[in-house]
Amino acid sequence: MLPDLEIPNHRALIVSGIGCSSRIPGYIDTYGINSLHGRAIVIAQGAKLTRPELTVIAIGGDGDLFSIGAGHLPHAVRRNTDITCIMVNNFVYALTKGQVSPTTPHLRRGEGDFLSLKFYPPVDPILDMVSYSFSTQASFIAQGIATDVPHLEWLIRQGISHVGFSYISVLTPCVTFNPPELISTIQTNACYLQEGEPVKLPASSTEEPWIHDPRNMDMALRLAQVPLLEEPLVGIFFRGVVK
Amino acid sequence: MESARLTIGSVGAGGDGVVVLGTFLQKIAASQGYYSVMPRYYGAQIRGGGSAVKLCLDSEQVLVPNDILDILVCFDWEKYLEFETELMLTEETIVIYEYSPQINLTLPPTSFQIDFSTRSEAATGSTKDKNLVALGLLAKIVGLPEEHISKSIKDDSEFKLLKDKITALRAGEQLYSELLIPELGLLKPRDDSAKIILHGNTATARAAIQAGCKSFFGYPITPAAEIMQEMQEELSQERGIFLQAEDEIASAGMVLGASMVGVKAMTSTSGPGFDLMTEMMGLASSAEIPMVIVDVQRCGPSTGIPSKSEQSDLNHAVYGGHGDAPRIVMAPYSVEGCYRLMIESLNVAYHFQTAVVLLSDQWLGQTFVAIDDKFLQEEYPILETIRPDDTTQGEYYRYRLTEDSISPMAAVGDEGLTHQTTGLAHHTNGTPAFDFETNQIMHQKRWQKLMPLCKRDDLVKVFGKEDSIKGIITWGSSGQVVLEVIRDLDLTEQVEVCIPELLHPLPDKLERFVRSMSKLLIIEMNYTGQFHHLLRSNLDLPKSTKVYARAGGRPFSKQELTNLIIELVQ
Repeated sequence: MLPDLEIPNHRALIVSGIGCSSRIPGYIDTYGINSLHGRAIVIAQGAKLTRPELTVIAIGGDGDLFSIGAGHLPHAVRRNTDITCIMVNNFVYALTKGQVSPTTPHLRRGEGDFLSLKFYPPVDPILDMVSYSFSTQASFIAQGIATDVPHLEWLIRQGISHVGFSYISVLTPCVTFNPPELISTIQTNACYLQEGEPVKLPASSTEEPWIHDPRNMDMALRLAQVPLLEEPLVGIFFRGVVK
Repeated sequence: MESARLTIGSVGAGGDGVVVLGTFLQKIAASQGYYSVMPRYYGAQIRGGGSAVKLCLDSEQVLVPNDILDILVCFDWEKYLEFETELMLTEETIVIYEYSPQINLTLPPTSFQIDFSTRSEAATGSTKDKNLVALGLLAKIVGLPEEHISKSIKDDSEFKLLKDKITALRAGEQLYSELLIPELGLLKPRDDSAKIILHGNTATARAAIQAGCKSFFGYPITPAAEIMQEMQEELSQERGIFLQAEDEIASAGMVLGASMVGVKAMTSTSGPGFDLMTEMMGLASSAEIPMVIVDVQRCGPSTGIPSKSEQSDLNHAVYGGHGDAPRIVMAPYSVEGCYRLMIESLNVAYHFQTAVVLLSDQWLGQTFVAIDDKFLQEEYPILETIRPDDTTQGEYYRYRLTEDSISPMAAVGDEGLTHQTTGLAHHTNGTPAFDFETNQIMHQKRWQKLMPLCKRDDLVKVFGKEDSIKGIITWGSSGQVVLEVIRDLDLTEQVEVCIPELLHPLPDKLERFVRSMSKLLIIEMNYTGQFHHLLRSNLDLPKSTKVYARAGGRPFSKQELTNLIIELVQ
């Protein structure tokens, strides 16, 4: 990934929080820190702001970046700091054995399959990460699937190359605590967004499909509102123009 | 009669301009060489509350103002009641006031009612310049030469307001000749070189820049906000990076990010913000990433009294956080100390690769003093982080065990030295470890590396006659009051005063001081006697050790400490 972008290993820093996904820097030969729960994004900003020539990536999970550390995200976005934030969303707190996270699919108690195996379903609506990023107007917003490696690789490369804050949501299976149907449903229903191609809308939609243009914030907002489990959209939702 | 010191109080409602009055008088006196200290007292409200200043001018040196006023200028007696204990009167005090008190108060014989508002209106067309009328009058009473004032006003752009309203000042001077005010006056200053005026928060920020701090991350909080504002000025225009973060967790995290890439960074805060930084402080300690937190202490717990001083964050600074996380804690007792120890804090943080807490307080941080500027001109050694040398290429161990337990630290961007680091227990190469042996060794390393600090005798100040067996230990701004009382009582030959500036790890010199005493008094401003407990848990204190510890909310008065100290001597 980094060699393709002509970024030498020692010019890159990967900051992670705490959680399953936060061991990622340990598997990559760059500078890395497995920091505190929820705080990857602030350490990453401190590094990038003081040494802008470095490539800085923040990695965390759904609990990490959307629960305990959620307060930092809108500020990183509004500053448009040139870091790449990768949110590995496995819909569950897995390191602590299966508690609900802010992204655990919201269903009524006892209903449906897409629950944490062990605990009761959440009673609060889920936080949809992509919509959230729109509401704070991140300048690059994309979603990928962990099981489609070539596409995800391409997305991350686009994110790193983007000048400004880029946010990439990665839909990820938790092989231990998710029912297998969760990721298989996502994989089956996944709908790839392609620039210049018509957008495929879910069956429940009454809208006319439009041609996907990642520069169009209004349309991107509508894409973000497509329910994830009904039709998981993957690809680049929005890419702001670099001024 | 001329004296070496005059203490002048001024009180009023918001809009009466008492702070402006005090500030101008302090500036004029400083430009003629007078030393001074001027605490401000204000309620929690930003507007509408009462405010007061107490300006203590001295021809030689002053650390804390006298308890009792020589002169009081009162624009509002109801507001006076809020600050009665800070602005004490005696039969000798000259009181100048605008309206008769509607409160139960017997004024001293030397009291003068003056229609400031009318005089102001006659002079400038506005009643609002009454503080400047009072200034003119005060300058006369204190005996600051008129031609000197005119020169200061002409030369210094900060006097612009006064220049525009010079008629108000003149009206005040005129008043003096009309009234039969007893003659006060100050002795000539020790030297007539102009003194600089600043407070601890400014000194702290300037020192950070001096020490090579290139980035600042913070969040506004009383009474530390001036450090942040000053740093914003200093680091603007591409001289560095300044960011007002979304909270104190972020501020602390950004400091670590900057340190990792090799850029000196700091943050400043007060109690509640310091709480939020605690987890990050543990990461700094564990992963050995330099970090400096300036805590300008205020009354706690919780929101406490944000605008008033206390020394109650010591426990948190020394012990705060889970696990055994070594850190360095220092505390200045003067504005000069704020400067010197801020440089020291950055030095030791980046040399020892750990968290440093500099415990300032509201009194030090916000009290304007006029002092010699020699300490600003001095050369202070600046320490840098030890980096790996060329021989480490290819086999770099971030946490290599060395003789002094300091492992050379690569900065992100250094070629051939990529590595992982973490707040997890870790091996010498930075990868996670989950075994007892490694955990034990790494603890040892992190504590051991700080031990040379215990030998820093220069960070423990001792005053008075050597080989005395009666001693006082105090720390932070409380030290100023103790030193002044000892001087006033002329006890420097009988009592030794020890003010440690390094509080953790505990310096050897402090231990030697304690061992040499048969009678000991510990003075600090917090309810539980936190420093006493720290000492007691580390050292054998004399049986007769006495402790004077009380909550903050009012500065120590000299009277308050006088009897305690006399008792110690007897």
